[in-house]
Amino acid sequence: MDFGFSVAEEAFAEKVRAFLRRHPPASFPRDGMDAGYGSGAASRAFMRALGAEGWLSMTWPRRFGGEERPMMEKLVLLEELALAGAPFGPLSGADQTAEAIIRVGTPYLQSELLPRIARGDATFWQGFSEPGAGSDLLSLTTEARRDGDYYVINGHKIWSSHAGIADFGLVLARTSREARRSHGLTMFVVANQTSGMEIRPIRSLTGEVYHYEVFLDDVRVPRDVLLGPEGEGFAALLGGLDTDRFWGRFYKAPALKRLLLRLVQHANTVTRDGQPLARDAAVRRGLAGLAAEIEALRAMFYRVGWLIQNGERAGHESALAKVMADELGQKLTAFAMDALGAFGPLAEASQWAPLGGEMAHAYLTSLGHTIAGGTSEILRTTVATRGLGLPTQR
Amino acid sequence: MDFRPSEAQQLLVAAARDFLARHCPIDAPPGGPAAPKDLWTEMALLGWPGLLVPGDLGGSDGTLLDVMLLVEEMGRFDLESPYIASAVAATSMLLASAVPARRRAVVPEMALGRRTAALALLEESGELTPQAISTRGEPGGRLQGRKLCVRDADIAHDLIVTARGESGVSVFHVQRARAGITCEAMPSIDGNRLFAVTFDGVDVAPADMLGDAGAGWDVLRPALALGALARCAEMIGAAARILDLAVEHAKTRVQSGRPIGSFQAIQHACADLLRGVESARPLALSAAWRVERGQPSDAEVAMAKSYTGDACLSVARKAHQIFGAIGYCEEHPLHRFHKRILAARLEYGDAVHHAETIARAIGLV
Repeated sequence: MDFGFSVAEEAFAEKVRAFLRRHPPASFPRDGMDAGYGSGAASRAFMRALGAEGWLSMTWPRRFGGEERPMMEKLVLLEELALAGAPFGPLSGADQTAEAIIRVGTPYLQSELLPRIARGDATFWQGFSEPGAGSDLLSLTTEARRDGDYYVINGHKIWSSHAGIADFGLVLARTSREARRSHGLTMFVVANQTSGMEIRPIRSLTGEVYHYEVFLDDVRVPRDVLLGPEGEGFAALLGGLDTDRFWGRFYKAPALKRLLLRLVQHANTVTRDGQPLARDAAVRRGLAGLAAEIEALRAMFYRVGWLIQNGERAGHESALAKVMADELGQKLTAFAMDALGAFGPLAEASQWAPLGGEMAHAYLTSLGHTIAGGTSEILRTTVATRGLGLPTQR
Repeated sequence: MDFRPSEAQQLLVAAARDFLARHCPIDAPPGGPAAPKDLWTEMALLGWPGLLVPGDLGGSDGTLLDVMLLVEEMGRFDLESPYIASAVAATSMLLASAVPARRRAVVPEMALGRRTAALALLEESGELTPQAISTRGEPGGRLQGRKLCVRDADIAHDLIVTARGESGVSVFHVQRARAGITCEAMPSIDGNRLFAVTFDGVDVAPADMLGDAGAGWDVLRPALALGALARCAEMIGAAARILDLAVEHAKTRVQSGRPIGSFQAIQHACADLLRGVESARPLALSAAWRVERGQPSDAEVAMAKSYTGDACLSVARKAHQIFGAIGYCEEHPLHRFHKRILAARLEYGDAVHHAETIARAIGLV
């Protein structure tokens, strides 16, 4: 057993920290808000800066322009970015898509998209959920009809993060009716400019736009944009969802640690009852407990990462880690709102907002996390049936 | 990083599981099938008490991570033994701080399981701090005072005692049979293994001292960290067993014509038990890894102990709801694992104790 970073990993972490000193996160324009998962705001400029370092493609095979660096270095990169509050929002989506394109993509996708992803010039949205297909994803009704070398897609996708500011959507559509609902689904990589697509923003309870809904009306795409074989989109997706839950939340522990340390700073500087808030027993003990929980979350994610690196699917482990990550995020931000007191709800726009309104914002976004990417209820059921072997309900 | 135990460690775990399954059956009567003393001799034959002891002192040169894996198995089988206090905490103190003659005389005996020690640390405040010590004692003088919640004092050959003298707090290693020492049971809900130990004019020689006069807390601190981590491993083992039992129950207990494990309410509770075990284990093991390598680890140990205690206790408490009425019976094993976690959580620093260490580590003024 070995729970430390290698010399190479330590050196890489220092390299990332040096990069962040040269490129202070606050100096980058933000194109879209932070999901609050810890993935930072969306910033195309920051993605390009990462691309210029070669870090968006460093784990890829050499024949696709990568350096075949170990997965652990990607975890090191994500951890440092999250600790710094960097705007790397689109990174996980781009990374996951690249991984799928390398694995099952057509030569067209490989030659056209991989270089763009590597430069930080291609970002992606997920077109999975539909108005009538949330937790029951297999009830989706978007259809793709084969027409020679083309497919014609019709349907309605929703809750697609950053769809309006990204370049491509991963659209899951039904290409045939099969006895098993998980069969006959196909994944397409659809460029945002394709005619027949209408992308409408959905304003969230934060007052900002993060999600979009996408109407697809006779959207015509070449067969070159299929991601994986026709009819096997769900199998590809499910494998993807397992790791999506890991990559979608890996940076939550360092992101929460950053929030916690901001709270510590706040508690050290403001006074309550004539002494630093930090001396309040409930605040002190609460922050200490949260710090321990964050460390446990981090250790758990590294273990899941290690499983994935060793070729394990880690499906239920990822699901469990996501549940813990998102519930801890809610716990921390709820605690923070209590600790911040009367000024807690003040927003960024107010000069009186403690911690620049970041905590109030995180409090609100945390509400969506136990829903997005699989609700905590669906995931607990996954853990119980796939992980513990309990009988399914049907 | 590598979360996989080495082959030798896997063998250790397999042998432990085999031994404990034979000697600690799940349906044993309350208190376990054998008194701690009886099984201790058998455990000594396996070399467990000498795991942290160097080969030239009769041990097997094991590591703290070996101990963590072994103790997790002990927790899984609800083994009642003085292992953590004696073979982990006390042994490490004797190795590090006893005068050479004492070390050579006592440590091999402990490694062979012929001798055990109990920790006499707490006093009336119940706090694990140097300030809380009022027992008096000087090398070459006498011990005078009373220690509380001394686990397994009745079967221990020796006692590790903290006492205050002219130069501050020192640590002493004295035989329990020495004149002036009396033990009185402190009945508790977790198996009646706690004792009040009174020291009434007990002679102590300079050779009884561990470390320098007044430097007692420096002697104690690393041993408390080891004890805290071993207690983490024990709690994780107990929680892991609770999880196994609860899942088994959920699969086999039928109500309304279905296994209760097909109901979401039970499924989700079981998922939460798994979360407790799977999140605590890597945290505790990585803290032990740091300690083993001599890296700064006060905060990591404190986090491991406080998180593991909370997570495993919540596993035990939630499991009661999964088992329903049967889990409330004395003959059902659940309460034994629950009580073991409850006790382990409070030893080697309770949540409040460790919270303060963490608070300082994260920078709170």
